[in-house]
Amino acid sequence: MTALEENSVLVSVQNLHKQYGNLAAVRGLSFEILQGEVFGLLGPNGAGKTTTIEIIEGLRQPDSGEVRVCGLDPAQESMALKERIGAQLQSTVLPDKMRVHEALQLFAGFYRRSASVQMLLDHFGLEEKRNTFFEKLSGGQKQRLALALALVNDPELVLLDEPTVGLDPQLRRDIYALIEHFREEGRTVLLTTHYIEEAERLCDRVAITDRGQLVALGTPRELIARSGQGTRLELRLAKPVGLDRLKLIEGVIDCHEAAGAYLLRAQPAALTISALIRFLESEENALLDLHIARPSLEDVFVEMTGRRLED
Amino acid sequence: MPAVRIALLTIRLVMRTKLALFFTFLFPLVFLFAYAGLIAHGRPEVVAYMFGPVVTLNIMGSGFFGLGMQSVMQRERGSLRRYRLAPIAPRTMLLSNLLANYLLGLPTIGLLLFCALVFFHMPMKIGWLTLLVLVTVGTFAFAGFGLTIASVANTMQEAQVYSNIIWFTLLFLSGVTFPLPMLPRSIQRLAMFFPSTYLVSAFQSVMAQAEPLMSHWPEMLVLVISGFFGLLFAMKLFRWEKEERISTKAKLWSGVFVLPFLVMGLWMNTRANATAVWARTYNVFEKPSDAAPQAEAEKANVIEDFDGPQPSEELLRRWQVSTDSDVSGHSMAEISVLSPGAEGTRHAMRLKGRLAPGPKNPQGFVSARCEVQPPANSTGLRGIEFEARGESRVYQVAFLPPKVAQTRFSGSAALESAAFGSAKPAAAPLPSISFVPGEAWQNVRVPIAWLANPSGHGLADGPWILEISVTGPPGEFTLDLDEIRFY
Repeated sequence: MTALEENSVLVSVQNLHKQYGNLAAVRGLSFEILQGEVFGLLGPNGAGKTTTIEIIEGLRQPDSGEVRVCGLDPAQESMALKERIGAQLQSTVLPDKMRVHEALQLFAGFYRRSASVQMLLDHFGLEEKRNTFFEKLSGGQKQRLALALALVNDPELVLLDEPTVGLDPQLRRDIYALIEHFREEGRTVLLTTHYIEEAERLCDRVAITDRGQLVALGTPRELIARSGQGTRLELRLAKPVGLDRLKLIEGVIDCHEAAGAYLLRAQPAALTISALIRFLESEENALLDLHIARPSLEDVFVEMTGRRLED
Repeated sequence: MPAVRIALLTIRLVMRTKLALFFTFLFPLVFLFAYAGLIAHGRPEVVAYMFGPVVTLNIMGSGFFGLGMQSVMQRERGSLRRYRLAPIAPRTMLLSNLLANYLLGLPTIGLLLFCALVFFHMPMKIGWLTLLVLVTVGTFAFAGFGLTIASVANTMQEAQVYSNIIWFTLLFLSGVTFPLPMLPRSIQRLAMFFPSTYLVSAFQSVMAQAEPLMSHWPEMLVLVISGFFGLLFAMKLFRWEKEERISTKAKLWSGVFVLPFLVMGLWMNTRANATAVWARTYNVFEKPSDAAPQAEAEKANVIEDFDGPQPSEELLRRWQVSTDSDVSGHSMAEISVLSPGAEGTRHAMRLKGRLAPGPKNPQGFVSARCEVQPPANSTGLRGIEFEARGESRVYQVAFLPPKVAQTRFSGSAALESAAFGSAKPAAAPLPSISFVPGEAWQNVRVPIAWLANPSGHGLADGPWILEISVTGPPGEFTLDLDEIRFY
């Protein structure tokens, strides 16, 4: 892969709009996904994530805006596009009596280029379940099969719509490992999620959306750093100290007391901690306990929208 | 071909679902046996007439409830969504459903045909190709119906309502359940607008009257056109997702689907001989069946079945019991009517008694005789058969000309010789066949050729005397006889 290809834009969404009756699902959304990156669309339910991904897949027509995927217009060149992308739906339903290997063989047969069914069975841990009916699979196995189906055509771009929703933490981690493997294989991945952990762990870049609009775009680190939230410091001291004096310490943005502990928001945190130590020495006070918590994308979302992701 | 791949997998999935297997293969047989048994009374010609309605019923069912409902169910369940992500068009899904429906229907029709031929001896008056064409055209037409309903209905409930309304209308008003000539004139006129009428009447005229299928080309053409209309609507209105709804305007457009039937119905109503064709094929109900003469012939061959209105009186009037009393024996016997008889018949005859030889003869003797009139046409008759059961003694069957029977008993020759010794020369034994019955009813066949007739009395010269006798050591005996007839 050349440097040019690595940085080439695989998905381009410009000023996308989509309305369902009176509901504006997507309002002027714009972003680009570079080849080889894992890109996350993070937002609460109703943020327009699924509509956006389905427009990119060619399943829905946008009202306005421009979308290019792998150099193709999904609305006009849907068949050609489907040959090059692999997609996993929020919930995949197959006929109850269809066996795992039959599903993979059937769908692999629809494409000009296809991956080895045996390789997919091995890779997604489905070999033992190859003859199991779809109705007999557990939630996690169904999701793994859905991911395997997304790869039957060995796609350049993998689109995953809430791939871990409804799964327990262990199964989620299994899916994370599979998605990380997609990255290692050099595939471009677009995933939608409302799980912070998922976006922070898996995504190279994240677009935070709310009510159909883009709230923030960047790497998780950039977004957090850009956020005015600051690092949270929770400290317990040997002797009480006035809040007004703590607020004067370098880098402290905000400070309050709760249950015998002092809660500080600081930016940058390193500077604040060294200043705090000097302050306590000068006051002949002692630090009994200190907890440091970095801000998360959740905090970024709250800062941008005034709401939590689960709202 | 993705459509073929999906169709073949769909068939495999049906094979794995017990309920689907039942409704696809076994349920149609219920209709065949009901129609052939209850309406046709097993008469082969009438079964040929009713075969069309049975097949039409099956084709209608698979179109409405197989293909149509299946399409809506796939959409409602969300299983179409996964296919939507693949590079396949709606027409691929529709063609695969159409193909699966057709391929699943063929073995069912084959099974119906097999049962009609084997169990009801249905005459096969048309070629296999003609039958295949009829089934193919019918399946295509009703697939169009099913697909149109699936396209128009937004929900499963809606599809069920549409399907049931049309299903029951066609079921009762188009000759599928009641033969068209049985229906009132007004209903017959209405039936001319229904596709099932075209298929049923075409089936009946080629199956029961051996008329060429080409004589029904207008009906066949309309059925094919309606199939294409249905497919066209289904492609136009195809929806992958249950959330996608179609407008009332689009639903109204689907009314175009009935146009071919409207044109055909008007044409048939103004054509004089439509009902005449129905009436002509319906004539099979009036004709005596091929089986009737055979049953008559079999009845003429019956000598005794003991199933008359007053079997006891008949028995005593026709049958005569003789014993060894004239040679000093003390054997005793009586005949009576027994219920039930062999093979589920109402009555049989029982010959019961005790063998008690006298001082001059070592073995007892009892016989039962009746006069037998050979049938008017005795050509080809080879012998006498009957059902027998009893204690394991040796019994004899003899078939005697009356002159011989007046003076002698077949089984008594040896006794006479023993009783009179050298004072009376022993008569030559009369020809007889021995048999030993078992506890269960068993068929005994006695070829006439074996009963060599010394008198030259021919079978057709009748009457004859049938004698069943028993000789042997002292002791009781019981012999049951039934269904005595020529064969």
